[in-house]
Amino acid sequence: MATRALLAVISASPNRCFISSSRIEIQSSVSSFSSLNFQRHSRKIHRIARSYSSDKDSSVLPPPEVSRLAETARISLTPAEIEECETKIRRVIDWFGQLQQVDVNSVEPAIRADMDGGNLREDSPETFENGDSIRASIPSFEEAYLKVPKILNKE
Amino acid sequence: MSTTLLRTIQLNQFSLLGTALIRRRSNNVSVRCCGSQTATTHEAKQTSPSRVAPKNHKSNKLDEILRDYEAVIGIETHVQLSTLTKAFCSCSNNYGSVPNTSICPVCMGLPGALPVLNSKVVEFGVRLGLALNCELSLKSKFDRKQYFYPDLPKGYQISQFDIPIASGGYVDLDIPLEFGGGHRRFGITRVHMEEDAGKSLHSDTGDYSQVDLNRAGVPLLEIVSEPDMRSGVEAAEYACEMQRIARYLGVSNGNMQEGSLRCDVNISIRPIGQAEFGTKVEIKNLNAFSAMSRAIDFEISRQALLYDQGKADQIVTETRLWDEGAQKTVTMRKKEGLADYRYFPEPDLPEVILTQEYVDSIRASLPELPEAKRRRYEAMGLGMQDVLFLANDVSVAEYFDAVIGKGAEVKLAANWIMGDIAAYLKNEKLSINDMKLTTQELAELIAAIKDGTISGKIGKEILFELLAKGGTVKGMIKEKDLVQITDPAEIEKMVIKVVSENQKQLEQYRSGKTKLQGYFAGQVMKMSKGKANPGLLNKILLEKLNAKD
Repeated sequence: MATRALLAVISASPNRCFISSSRIEIQSSVSSFSSLNFQRHSRKIHRIARSYSSDKDSSVLPPPEVSRLAETARISLTPAEIEECETKIRRVIDWFGQLQQVDVNSVEPAIRADMDGGNLREDSPETFENGDSIRASIPSFEEAYLKVPKILNKE
Repeated sequence: MSTTLLRTIQLNQFSLLGTALIRRRSNNVSVRCCGSQTATTHEAKQTSPSRVAPKNHKSNKLDEILRDYEAVIGIETHVQLSTLTKAFCSCSNNYGSVPNTSICPVCMGLPGALPVLNSKVVEFGVRLGLALNCELSLKSKFDRKQYFYPDLPKGYQISQFDIPIASGGYVDLDIPLEFGGGHRRFGITRVHMEEDAGKSLHSDTGDYSQVDLNRAGVPLLEIVSEPDMRSGVEAAEYACEMQRIARYLGVSNGNMQEGSLRCDVNISIRPIGQAEFGTKVEIKNLNAFSAMSRAIDFEISRQALLYDQGKADQIVTETRLWDEGAQKTVTMRKKEGLADYRYFPEPDLPEVILTQEYVDSIRASLPELPEAKRRRYEAMGLGMQDVLFLANDVSVAEYFDAVIGKGAEVKLAANWIMGDIAAYLKNEKLSINDMKLTTQELAELIAAIKDGTISGKIGKEILFELLAKGGTVKGMIKEKDLVQITDPAEIEKMVIKVVSENQKQLEQYRSGKTKLQGYFAGQVMKMSKGKANPGLLNKILLEKLNAKD
């Protein structure tokens, strides 16, 4: 679990793919075609995830690239803010880096932290009663549609 | 569609070359695949003569070029599930409602709202995974796929990234006979659950778009194939089979026009013998199986020609759109690098856990799938043409199974269904389930003709009556007194009468005009109100006509 939380933070850095160190080699995309490779990689999870935690220098993690982080989150930062953020984020990353020292060799990798799955819902429709107030709160709601700037690219 | 072909031939040179590829193509392929509710007319029997592209040296040149390359095609299919509610909230899942009326805080992505998984989505996922011969992940999870777009309320799509619910399967299918027939097996890499985004309408004028979030949160199953297809025909048939299976299972109505079945094609070519894949191009905006096939053929030619001209580096990783009007693929915007979706596990949703018992119970409840039906029909002795037609639409197959289950002869039942009944349904735009002719009555009709109670011709008349108004075969035979006359004595009486009333024709016949036999036969038929057994009639007639007296 620790390793997973750590990796979640790392995933915010560029050129990292989440889930396991076996992904570190892959470029940031996961265009679905490279999902063709996922099967092979996910089998590696078990092997490599273990060795990751026993890396010698594993507590030294790469610094966050804050300007790119800000761009992907669509948040604009001034250069001063970028510097400030960098220090703070780095501290958090290093804090998680300490978890690398835990020996998890004898622990099976888990998909998720919580123990119980389930919590499924029956397939029966219910109308949300306050639809009107949702629509009323949309800033540019015209002729039953949300009016938005024209963006053709999903980048 | 024939006009489209014609237009294609007249368009620019490039598409002229393209038609060389579709030489043997009958213009009926899309009708077969999209055999929706209506049983399609038995197209193959009426296949128009294959359109041969005008052979000029340019199309031969293209053929030569194409011979050196192999296309590698993979398909991503999104199947919109026909559940009653959305994937993560209880809003209704219907197509065609007034925009932005089927919404709630969850699917609108409002702060504080939490997703709760719809159990039917899991069930459908398991069903489809099993139908595609996949291995199921008894434990899987959801992930967030993050990007910004106006129709994506939360700023991320809940999907499954590295641990999908099903993976490592395959699908068996048959290529339609007009494209050479043959059996194929294509691999399925994975099947995973995810939610749909809203719908965007871009205005032609102005700088704004309109978003309808009714569709946001609707459950999807994404099927990713192995890059096993090698031609437009194979790809189109794969897509058809995905539609067929989805409909057989009842997980989706699979309408490409409505958007409940969407296919994106990934295609690259490589010189034959090369192990590495070429540069991959994605094609979107395919609204029909035939469009898919044509788009792929076009793209193969486009890429092959570039290779041949030494301009292979002009093929870049990009998304292209199929322009139906111009019949070619065009660049969308070129991608600047690959997208970074920053996947991480969806913290608001627990693991999806399947028990072996659950999976087994679903497996036991699966209906007979298209492939199994096709093999069974083949084993019954039906020809591939019939097999492919009957197994294409699950309602037609069920109807056919019911009719032969009531004892009707297989080939006869097949002929009736594929011929007159299919034509009627197409004309009236009805589905076989809405038809007034019940399986019981069709079985009886077939039996009545077989045992000689009524003639084939009368049988057809009864069929039309029953189709239009319902009723029973027995009732109709009785009401209209249609029982075939098979008593030779009775027929003889009629023959004698007709002959005696037509002396002039009799002389003409005896002096050599033997074709007049048909005239006499017609007269006897008329007299008998169509009930005389044709075989007996002609036998007796011939005797009388050729007698000395």
